Amino acid sequence: MWLPFIGLIVGIVLGWLTNWRIPEEYSSYLSIAVLAALDTLIGGIRAHLQHVYDESVFLTGFFFNIILAASLAFLGVHLGVDLYLAAVFAFGVRLFQNIAVIRRILLANWLKRRQKS
Amino acid sequence: MRKIRGNDVILSFVFLVLGFMLSFSYQHTKQRHPDVTDRQWQKEYEYRQLLIQAQKETSKLKNRLLQKQEQLQHSEKELADEKTAYVGLVQEVEQLRMYTGKVKVQGKGIEVTLSDASYVPNEQNAANYIVHEQHVWKVVHELLISGAEAIAINGQRISHRSYIVCNGPVIEVDGVQHAAPFVIAAIGDPHVLTSALNIVGGVKDELVDDHIVVKIASKESLVFDPVFHSK
Repeated sequence: MWLPFIGLIVGIVLGWLTNWRIPEEYSSYLSIAVLAALDTLIGGIRAHLQHVYDESVFLTGFFFNIILAASLAFLGVHLGVDLYLAAVFAFGVRLFQNIAVIRRILLANWLKRRQKS
Repeated sequence: MRKIRGNDVILSFVFLVLGFMLSFSYQHTKQRHPDVTDRQWQKEYEYRQLLIQAQKETSKLKNRLLQKQEQLQHSEKELADEKTAYVGLVQEVEQLRMYTGKVKVQGKGIEVTLSDASYVPNEQNAANYIVHEQHVWKVVHELLISGAEAIAINGQRISHRSYIVCNGPVIEVDGVQHAAPFVIAAIGDPHVLTSALNIVGGVKDELVDDHIVVKIASKESLVFDPVFHSK
């Protein structure tokens, strides 16, 4: 159960210690990839709480979303349209929705437990 | 248990990637955007302006410095020219002094000795057998004409203002009396001077005709004292 947390910590440390820099024009890809990853993670948590969690969906979603977001941003840069804003918007909205759902579920659980007691 | 464990491994990998991306992005963003506020921008603008102004001033001053250096060079060159001119003048003065007899001179030349005739035949007038002032004059003139640079009679330097007069048995040069034999020394090219005196029918022949014993010797080094104008 603790393995994922260890993985997270190791990842953070690795990222912190990494010294190589990416060029300035690719920083938007990085940020959108981070956003996609967060979105997928929150989505996974929500699915878990709603008992519809599927590991393969979560895994493919995690990586596919990251790649899709990055390629969308890439396309946007080359088309001259700020498509990465669309990705940011989409992911942001979904992030908020998912967090809201999680909050409601947790709240419902908490209230249920309180009624029981 | 085993299945859960497999899940955990995959999950931890996902988290690893997530953590890596998060911290990397954070670090990257932090380094990319040092907190620059409007005020800082303004400050930077001001400083930049100041810097530009300072640079402008520096370049102006540099130009002025270059100009001054050029002027200095010019002046120095002028000064050097003047100096060489002065050196030339000094040399010229020295030379002229040598000619006028204001300083001691030294050089090679010839020495002409005029002596009274040692053999006096039976003639009443002894004046025909002694050296007169015109003889000395002749020699001196001939030497001057043939390029003597300085002349002295019996060691007394004569100048362009000297006079030679007959004063009985002696002759007087610038107020100093000299008796025979007269040694007339001249600084100049010895060959030229000797040849000038030895011209056939020239000075030497005339003197010999007047029964004067003439000796001409060239000298490697003659030293003349300056003319004394004490009298």
